Amino acid sequence: MKPRYRKVIRDLTSSYSKNLMLALAIAVGVFGIGSILGAYKVINREMAVNYLSTEPASATIEFEGRISNGLLDSIRSFPGIKKAERRATITARMKVDERWYPILLFVIDDFSKMEISKFLPVSGSQNPDHQSMLVERSALPVMHAQEGDQITIRTPHGQAQRVKIVGQVHDPGLAPAWQEQAGYAYISLEALHRLGEKQNFDLLRLQVSDNEYSASEITKKAELVADLLKTKGITVHEIQVPPPGKHPHQSQMNAVLTIFTVFCFMILMLGSILVATSMATLMVKQIRQIGVMKTIGGNSYQIASLYFLMLLVICVIALTVSIPLSRLAAYGFYTQIAVLLNLEITDTSIPWSVPLIQILSGITVPMIAAAFPLVRGSRISVRAALDNYGVSATSNTASFLSRLPIINAFNDTFRLALRNAFRQRARLALTLGLLAAGGAMFMTALNVSEAWDKNLKRIYVQRLYDQEIKLNDRINQDSILGRIKSLEGVTTVEGWDYSSTSVVKESKYEVTRTYPDKGHGSFSILALPVNTKLLNPTITEGRWLYAEGTNEVVLNQLARTSEMKIGDQIYLSLEDKPTTWKIIGFTEDVGSSAAAYISIRSFEKLNGSVNHIKMIRIGYADRSKDYAWNKNREVDRVLEELNVRVSSSTPVWLLHNAVAAHMKVLVNSLLAMAILMAVVGTLGLTSTISMNVLERTREIGVMRAIGATPKKIRSLIILEGLTIGILSIVLAFIISLGLSYFMGEFIGRISFRTPLTLTISIVAIVIWIMIVTIGSYLASILPAKRANVITTREALSYE
Amino acid sequence: MDHQQSKPLIELSQVTKSYPVASGSFSALKNITLKIDSRQLISITGKSGSGKSTLLNLITGIDRPTEGSVIINGVRVDKLSEFELASWRGKNVGVVFQFFQLLPTLTILENVMLPMDFCNTYPKKDRRERALALLQMVGIGEQAEKFPSTLSGGQQQRVAIARALANDPPLIVADEPTGNLDSQTATAIFELFAKLATSGKTVVVVTHEREFSSYFESTINIADGVIVKAAAVQV
Repeated sequence: MKPRYRKVIRDLTSSYSKNLMLALAIAVGVFGIGSILGAYKVINREMAVNYLSTEPASATIEFEGRISNGLLDSIRSFPGIKKAERRATITARMKVDERWYPILLFVIDDFSKMEISKFLPVSGSQNPDHQSMLVERSALPVMHAQEGDQITIRTPHGQAQRVKIVGQVHDPGLAPAWQEQAGYAYISLEALHRLGEKQNFDLLRLQVSDNEYSASEITKKAELVADLLKTKGITVHEIQVPPPGKHPHQSQMNAVLTIFTVFCFMILMLGSILVATSMATLMVKQIRQIGVMKTIGGNSYQIASLYFLMLLVICVIALTVSIPLSRLAAYGFYTQIAVLLNLEITDTSIPWSVPLIQILSGITVPMIAAAFPLVRGSRISVRAALDNYGVSATSNTASFLSRLPIINAFNDTFRLALRNAFRQRARLALTLGLLAAGGAMFMTALNVSEAWDKNLKRIYVQRLYDQEIKLNDRINQDSILGRIKSLEGVTTVEGWDYSSTSVVKESKYEVTRTYPDKGHGSFSILALPVNTKLLNPTITEGRWLYAEGTNEVVLNQLARTSEMKIGDQIYLSLEDKPTTWKIIGFTEDVGSSAAAYISIRSFEKLNGSVNHIKMIRIGYADRSKDYAWNKNREVDRVLEELNVRVSSSTPVWLLHNAVAAHMKVLVNSLLAMAILMAVVGTLGLTSTISMNVLERTREIGVMRAIGATPKKIRSLIILEGLTIGILSIVLAFIISLGLSYFMGEFIGRISFRTPLTLTISIVAIVIWIMIVTIGSYLASILPAKRANVITTREALSYE
Repeated sequence: MDHQQSKPLIELSQVTKSYPVASGSFSALKNITLKIDSRQLISITGKSGSGKSTLLNLITGIDRPTEGSVIINGVRVDKLSEFELASWRGKNVGVVFQFFQLLPTLTILENVMLPMDFCNTYPKKDRRERALALLQMVGIGEQAEKFPSTLSGGQQQRVAIARALANDPPLIVADEPTGNLDSQTATAIFELFAKLATSGKTVVVVTHEREFSSYFESTINIADGVIVKAAAVQV
């Protein structure tokens, strides 16, 4: 081996702790990229595989009437239609531990011939009879049940009956049941009839044969089928065309993972800045050696290549450690996300592009970052190299600082420490940048986490009710509201109404983006007394409803499109009829689907059901979960006595928990990233302080020779570290404000379609101050010890 | 010695070297003209700050003159780029420093092999053998696999001399090579230099130590940037 390469190896091994620290700084970033990108690639692929394996319906037509087998066959042979199936979906209630929870019952035409919106068998029988059902695997924990158990189910028009779970299935098209706090079951039409529902199939699921990823083409074809249904005397209520081929959570997941990947690249860049500062210092430390090598014939290219090679070895060590570990972390991450999205990972392989990106970024980013100091150091003239005696005199900034009157209020040690901190301005800037960026990301993660919690709490602030009960049929409110109001602990009861809706455009039919779970992408009209005491809307523009019986509407952010403005007319379908409304305001709702608020009197006028309601909202004296549980049971009993059939009953705390569960893993991941940033930031500080001290070894020797005690030198070095640390905290705080705003905007938009409120977490600031202070102290104490261990003679002769 | 017979190895013509200082400009060397023939052991003497190290730096191409020309072994050194200079220096000048300046993470042998590696002067397979031979020549062949820190100052300086000879340059320059050594070791080093001059090298040594003046064929004495006395060299 050539002597120059031996030098590279020995330089690396002679200060292995420092070089390992550099490798660690790179490894942290590469690890982050690999784990996030690996999980991203697997989830992205598996989400598509899982979702498409269910043969999702391109469109669903909601109809009223009867589609005969013959008509179904005609639809199947319709041009552009590949598959067609009849279905029905009923929202019922199930009894779990003496409490009622919502359950979605998916009614299947023929379990043995399912071709659209299929589910995958997990265990047990896959062909339930009229007394049994299949259950989605994620629903079993919510139902507190196992295969073979019987569950009490009550449909809107039936009595509570026990239904046996005969098999488990996996339906990747549905969000996990625990997330929605609901049960999912699959039953036959006969079973539905046995449960007391007289209804027939009311959904026609279609799959198109071509242009299957074009929503407009799918809509056109579904409309043609709807036309056919109409000619057969069947009423078409709605056409649902969810985003083609896309899992309900796909865009959100992609967006979140993209931003995480960007964060990881930022970590790598910060790690690389640390590498650059370290390499710059190495060049300073080896400046005489460079001078000597140039004297004996080494040219700038040869010398630069030695240091680039050294960096390459560090990068390779970082990659060797981080790539396998990142694969393990990716496994953990995508497993968590798979649970969150109800996915079954069929192929765990991480594409080769991920390690390739890790290798490329793990080498090129540090190389680019370190290129300037390495090239500059290698190009130094022999004379400059041989004449170098370490750090230069006090910089202008330090002189300026020392002239500030406030500085003179401190003792000599502090003043000297302050000046020392500013002597290597470029390095100080990089270290401050590194620490500040780490701190900013740390604070951002906690700020966003706190903003998320705060936003979730707005669910309670906006919803002054504790229970929402949807009824099967419209009933006269006079008969029931008074009874409920008379219950002890009930403070307010209001009768509301609701209906699913869509913006009527030129289409003949109501076309929505609703997914088959009826939740994702749905849009409802909520009719309420304008002086409601149970809603505290956040008005973002315009005003709230104040007159009954007008054609005024207030839309929430999910119902609003970019072109809508105050004063515009909007056409909403209501019970299959187009209705005209004037937009008077926009609200920002947390945890709602798209909603249009209108006065209940206007609603009554349009459907002719005066004083009739289909929804009850109740406020209790105590907003706790347990209190709500007990009161709900009392309300249930009252409704049973009055023979009022309930379609669904949702406590607000359940909604809160369901929304919280959606993003929990992702907010936690942000916190994990914050910890990585803290690690890189502290490494940067340690590196800077130890290099600052190393460079001044000779100077420290001089100080000791003229009487500075080891204690004095130690406090000088520690104060220098603390000065840098404290400066970085101020910078980190300022940067975190912008970053928190951006992240809050991003996460808020993808989850609520409204930004999270900018929140400053005091806990984050306190923790970061502690990390930086302790980190600065620890980072300084080792170099300080080293400076005191070396003898004055050694220090003075140090080159 | 008849120096008129051959072309001088070192030729400085009206060389001035100035440095910018706060008060304007400081001339370390003032209009110096100097010719040194091959195969000589020459000393440069003078007080601290007189300009002797600057003169040495100009000869080795470590520094460039503000005015005038520096020709070494027929090459106009002051016109070479830094890149060209590195290669030229490696092949034509062997430099010995006061503090030895051996690379601490290379063994003695590797330190001596390094110039051959950088300048690609000898076939790879021959470099080790040549380095060993040079170490034998300076008397420390048995220490070849040791690291510099394990050797005494005198031994390290011998290694530095072996390294200076690695590419067989015609010129060896040494800046106070015995400044850090005891007199016995210093004597040994000067004897080595004398032997090198005898073997055909030109050796230029900056030194303060008058007790070794007998080793030198010529002495250039500098004061305030001007050559005040030069024996057996053309001024």
